[in-house]
Amino acid sequence: MILLEHFRASLIRLIRTPSYSLVTILVPSAIFVILGVTFIENRQEANFALGSFSVFATLGIAFFQFGVGIAEDRESPWEQYARVLPVPPITRLLTTILASLVFVTVSIGILIVVGFLTTDIGMSVTSWFRMFLSVIVGTLPLAAMGLTIGYWCTPKGALPTANLLYIILAFLGGIFFQPSLMPDLLNTISLFTPVRHIVNLTQAGILGAPWSIQPFLVLLGYTIVFILLATAGYRRDEGRKYS
Amino acid sequence: MTNSTLRKPISSSSSASNAVQLENVVKSFGTTKALNGLTLTLEKGEIHALLGPNGAGKTTAIAIMTGLRKADLGSVSILGGDPGNNSIRLRIGLTPQESGFPDNLRVSEILRLVRSHFPAPMSNKDLFKRFSLESIYDKQAGSLSGGQQRALAVALSFAGNPDLVFLDEPTTGLDLETRQKIWEAILNYRQSGGTVVLTTHYLEEAEFLATKVVVVHQGKDLINGTLDHIRELVGISRVSFSGNLSESIEGANHVEFKNGRVIIMTYNSDQVVRSLVQRGVSFQGLQIRPANLEEAFIKLIGESDQK
Repeated sequence: MILLEHFRASLIRLIRTPSYSLVTILVPSAIFVILGVTFIENRQEANFALGSFSVFATLGIAFFQFGVGIAEDRESPWEQYARVLPVPPITRLLTTILASLVFVTVSIGILIVVGFLTTDIGMSVTSWFRMFLSVIVGTLPLAAMGLTIGYWCTPKGALPTANLLYIILAFLGGIFFQPSLMPDLLNTISLFTPVRHIVNLTQAGILGAPWSIQPFLVLLGYTIVFILLATAGYRRDEGRKYS
Repeated sequence: MTNSTLRKPISSSSSASNAVQLENVVKSFGTTKALNGLTLTLEKGEIHALLGPNGAGKTTAIAIMTGLRKADLGSVSILGGDPGNNSIRLRIGLTPQESGFPDNLRVSEILRLVRSHFPAPMSNKDLFKRFSLESIYDKQAGSLSGGQQRALAVALSFAGNPDLVFLDEPTTGLDLETRQKIWEAILNYRQSGGTVVLTTHYLEEAEFLATKVVVVHQGKDLINGTLDHIRELVGISRVSFSGNLSESIEGANHVEFKNGRVIIMTYNSDQVVRSLVQRGVSFQGLQIRPANLEEAFIKLIGESDQK
């Protein structure tokens, strides 16, 4: 099956680039340990941090593997060749999505193990389920933002752009510290980022508090806007000259 | 598009009997017109060489013919269909001008991936043999030499057992031995009924392979002919020397002055030299060599612009 063959090839490429894959997979766990050992004082804080860093893992993979990966491949001769192969573009996009999902799963899996080893994590089955559901919902706008980076940035510009947005969004989104500790102004800005809404969803899920519809609508809005932007970028790219 | 189709309706049978049928194809990138009304009919079962100076639109023409880019205007029919369709893509192969592969995939893995797209691909064994890939089978693409990458890129265009193959400068940067191996593979492919469209900067490549020739200039087709045209081009020599020239020289077809040197293009270099001596032209560092393809084009294009 063509999809599986492309998937296989993408995974081999990623596994053979350990400098990329190990860093991407392990960074959330590493920062969790550093911050966790320093700041986490009780079970609820540990649970919250686990939720936030799971979002951090999807943010990194959406931006780097997905976004930067697409930007770097876009103008490569191999990509041009692959476009002439008898395979619909959607199949190749699906391959990239699948490979990213594998990385997200491994990264969050390691994070959970590290979390149990270094902190006092513990929550009900429903809370686990709702936390994961929040992370999954959150991948949609983040992946759409990754696509936008992928189709609008030049191959060289994509990495610094993704790095900058990654840090800013993680910081403003309240991943490194509790959003409740934010000063008012920062909190207001924070509420404009999709990351903050995903973090809020994980925390409501962990606490067993009801979800309101608002964050879902905000995330849906972000997803639509960025898919439109990415599509426009893709079209622009199609019409451009290549040598 | 409507104009050309009205003038010359393409019946399904006539377009199906041709490998490539382009009618007044226009393609612009921003303000540059890469193709400016290109009309081409390339028959099946031939090796067509698309020749022309750099920037003539050859690569853009290949991008249009393989469905990588869409034409702004005009009609495009490849094997009787739209090259954007999967059913047509299954029957074509491409070697792009630049070769490049994912650095950390092995040659065997790249072949496996590409072959998986086609219902009846060429066997690995056949591909290795025809394109001398045996020694690099287990290597990662990033460790291949430029020549090895090129050989692989050419092999991939044949991997799906296509009816029509596009080769954009297939043997640029290859050593003589690999080049001849690839030429042999291309000729074999034609013998088994395949059609090839290739661009090249090597005159000897066109001469050795092409059964039909199209010269493209400024996004239009200039000359559509056979090998004889190339043979005529080969007959041009380039005579150059340091010095000045005010006299008219017998046998000179084209004279220009560049970096203090006089450059004369001619079909008869003997006559030119004789004439230079007879007229007492003082020259230093005389050089005579066959014109290369680019220089031959300049002359040809000069003639067509005057018409």
